[in-house]
Amino acid sequence: MCACRVGLDAVETHGGCAQVREPGSDGEISFEYHRYEELRKALVSVWLQCPTITRIYTIGESFEGRELLVLEMSDNPGTHEPGEPEFKYIANMHGNEAVGRELLIYLAQYLCNQYQQGNETIIDLIHNTRIHLMPSMNPDGFEKAASQPGEIKDWFVGRSNAQGVDLNRNFPDLDRIIYINEREGGANNHLLQNMKKAVDENTKLAPETKAVVHWIMDIPFVLSANLHGGDVVANYPYDETRTGSTHEYSASPDDVMFKSLARAYSIYNPVMSDPHRPPCRKNDDDSSFKDGITNGGAWYSVPGGMQDFNYLSSNCFEITLELSCDKFPNEDTLKTYWEQNRNSLVNYIEQVHRGVKGFVRDLQGNPISNATISVEGIDHDITTAKDGDYWRLLAPGNYKVAASAPGYLTVIKKVAVPYSPATRVDFELESLMERKEEEREELMDWWKMMSETLNF
Amino acid sequence: MRRGRFSTSRSCPRIQHKQSACTGTSTDTSWTLGLFWARMGSRTAFVVLVFQLMVLSGFICAFPTPTASATDKTVSNRQLTEEKPLKEQMAEADGVKAALQSIETKPPTASEDLDSDPDELKALADTHQPKESPKVPVQVGHKVEQYIPDESDSTKSRRLAEDYDSTKKGMDQDEPESFHQVDGTLLTAEDIVQKIANKIYEEDDRGVFDRIVSKLLKLGLITDTQADNLEYQVAEALQDLITTNAKNNEITDADDTGKDTRGQEDSDANLWDSPQRRYNADEGDEEEEAEDEADAEEDDTADHMWDRDTQEVNEVNPEDGLQDLQYFPNFYRLLRSLDSERDTQERETLITIMKTLIDFVKMMVKYGTITPEEGVSYLENLDAMIAMQTKNKLGKALGSADATGANGKNMDDDDNTKADAAKMQKEYENLKDSTKEEQPSSETSRAGKAETYLEAIRKNIEWLKKHNKEEGKDDYDLSKLKDFMDQQVDAYIQKGIIAKDEGDTIKRIYSSL
Repeated sequence: MCACRVGLDAVETHGGCAQVREPGSDGEISFEYHRYEELRKALVSVWLQCPTITRIYTIGESFEGRELLVLEMSDNPGTHEPGEPEFKYIANMHGNEAVGRELLIYLAQYLCNQYQQGNETIIDLIHNTRIHLMPSMNPDGFEKAASQPGEIKDWFVGRSNAQGVDLNRNFPDLDRIIYINEREGGANNHLLQNMKKAVDENTKLAPETKAVVHWIMDIPFVLSANLHGGDVVANYPYDETRTGSTHEYSASPDDVMFKSLARAYSIYNPVMSDPHRPPCRKNDDDSSFKDGITNGGAWYSVPGGMQDFNYLSSNCFEITLELSCDKFPNEDTLKTYWEQNRNSLVNYIEQVHRGVKGFVRDLQGNPISNATISVEGIDHDITTAKDGDYWRLLAPGNYKVAASAPGYLTVIKKVAVPYSPATRVDFELESLMERKEEEREELMDWWKMMSETLNF
Repeated sequence: MRRGRFSTSRSCPRIQHKQSACTGTSTDTSWTLGLFWARMGSRTAFVVLVFQLMVLSGFICAFPTPTASATDKTVSNRQLTEEKPLKEQMAEADGVKAALQSIETKPPTASEDLDSDPDELKALADTHQPKESPKVPVQVGHKVEQYIPDESDSTKSRRLAEDYDSTKKGMDQDEPESFHQVDGTLLTAEDIVQKIANKIYEEDDRGVFDRIVSKLLKLGLITDTQADNLEYQVAEALQDLITTNAKNNEITDADDTGKDTRGQEDSDANLWDSPQRRYNADEGDEEEEAEDEADAEEDDTADHMWDRDTQEVNEVNPEDGLQDLQYFPNFYRLLRSLDSERDTQERETLITIMKTLIDFVKMMVKYGTITPEEGVSYLENLDAMIAMQTKNKLGKALGSADATGANGKNMDDDDNTKADAAKMQKEYENLKDSTKEEQPSSETSRAGKAETYLEAIRKNIEWLKKHNKEEGKDDYDLSKLKDFMDQQVDAYIQKGIIAKDEGDTIKRIYSSL
């Protein structure tokens, strides 16, 4: 496989590699596996090509000291613009599930190229979203997997991190807590609130896990997806069954929305959404798959996964994407995987612009952060970010949305939500103090009038 | 439970950061009030009512007030409001300390090396106003008023992309050597130019200018174009100075001390031999001529090379240039292969480009923008690339095959950016600095990386040009972009996102644009 790159102005092809470039096509992407150094170089190149809309940062180091690199794309990289939703893709948390890692590198190159070529959809997306791409959460595992000689890669080698920890079983198990709260009462979200210190001191958490936990706590992500391999389906919460059985449909309060989100991905992937697709392996049980999507618990129970952790510790909705039957396929299949997934990847990002969104402020116009947004009928609240901004993903329908905050009077609004774009609903909350003051003054006036009339 | 917050619990601690909070609603209080009303007579009820309200108001005071959200805003904006002033204070403190130190240092001598230039600049300032800041903001000519306020806080001027996202691990550190205003008065461009000219005049040494400017370039405080402008302005100022002084001398001469002034005149003539050769200083109004001739003469003065227009270079005898080029065998062969009438134009263009490149490289070495090792790798790659390009484009080999060039990249000969960078590499073979000790690392991998990065940067520049054209902007943003990129590169090196040599490569590519 030759790694050739055809420049924008090139009018001839480099000898030996006849890639014809069509306008707006992927002729500028080189479809090959990237080891750690090459991954870094690829991201740096994207940044150099599009420095005004990209930024590279790292959320920490893997066990063996490799940087957990993220490429951020937005019109104002490095800044959270009030009202602009945050989105992330994370891949390769299982080091030997390699397709997602590569897809995110190609996606970065694609978005940069398309932006510069004037693709309006992409330009709008980048201007109105803050997109974070982490091609590899487990770079150590990948190196181990990639170092295997020969074409066929083992099903398990490189899956876990350098300490032997399966990162997708390593997150604090908040499912268990939510199931208890469902039965006995308690918070319906943000279950990690009092556990931050516990997270830092928890010796069982891998450095990669800790880094991602902090990342989730720091940035008000709205929507996310987690890329895997070994099967082909879009999987949504909850991953862990309520009763502890191995297969059981475990619906979250946002089951309707999650199904919609998962479908939004699968529908553009011809393999994933093919109703007649045979299972990856002869004896696989894919009875829970429908339209290319599946509930996690219905497929098989996964405790301590990153997907559910997102949903239960923060405002972020995350689904899990399984993108290839083969976890580490041959390099010359990568182009095909890209073609199968490119439209899905872009369309899924666009899903972040759905539901209701807006600002919660007090009567003086100051933002109220950490206010609660609750939707009647959905037992899952979200909170406003630092600028008072919020994004509540909702499937089409009529809803009553309430904004509340300590010390303020709750306001409820009725909203009719279409499929997209997001409906803007702002709240102005009156503080209790203000209301008390008003009432007090009214009563004082009334008292004064009465006393004059009655000659107190 | 969704409605957990509407409990009747009355304990209300300061609830800014707690999840389980008592919000209270009007329903609670009115319920309580209603209860009391029901039980009492009307009069007593009113009294009790008022009393109760007062109690509740005092009680409510424990609730978060609208100021709470203001605190929120302050918290969320803390980095925006507090961090800058802090850095400013630190920077100013540095500036004050530096200024105070400079007053006590000895006057600079001609033998001072580049590293002591801060002292020199401060002494320069000292010459006129001892308390004035040693900083020399140098946006000569045009946007003085806009530019200088930025310089007074170097953290602001250098940081074009503010980043207050907590994913970022720490802000960039201030340059400890940056200069700051101390007493708040601003130096205008004219002041600076005048000061430098005066300094040169007094020191009788044009090297003063070189040292100052090289230091500024090294610190990234001015760009090459600005250095050029500065040179012209200083030349003019110097002219005036000489003229004025000469006239004054004549006047005083007429009075009495003819001997002294004559002596002074003579020494003037001697002293200014060197600059006069460059600036062609006659009394009066030959300034423009001087600038032109100064440019034309630059070829002869090997030590002082500046950017210049291609047009002026063309006036130089091509034969002289070819002597330099003999060190680049492939390029030389290329030239020779173009030796027909048809290709004369192309030949001339190539020679011109190569000569420009020589000057680029010499200047960059001189001012420490690149290390000789980097230049060596540039040149080695360039020669190889030329061989390959020639083979591809012209369909003929240049004699001996060059095996090192195969790196899979296509490059347009028409793209000046890449051609320049490529030629720079080749040129550097001439300029190996024997005092340098470190060995360059593996050439191939660095070449490969440089290629990829060069390609990416080229795409960006092309897009910028196209984009700016569409929006009607000019190319002014290029120097801003360069500064921004330098800054980002440093930040990335610090965080381990790119390696030092990669960062240097990127910076080098940008400074060659």
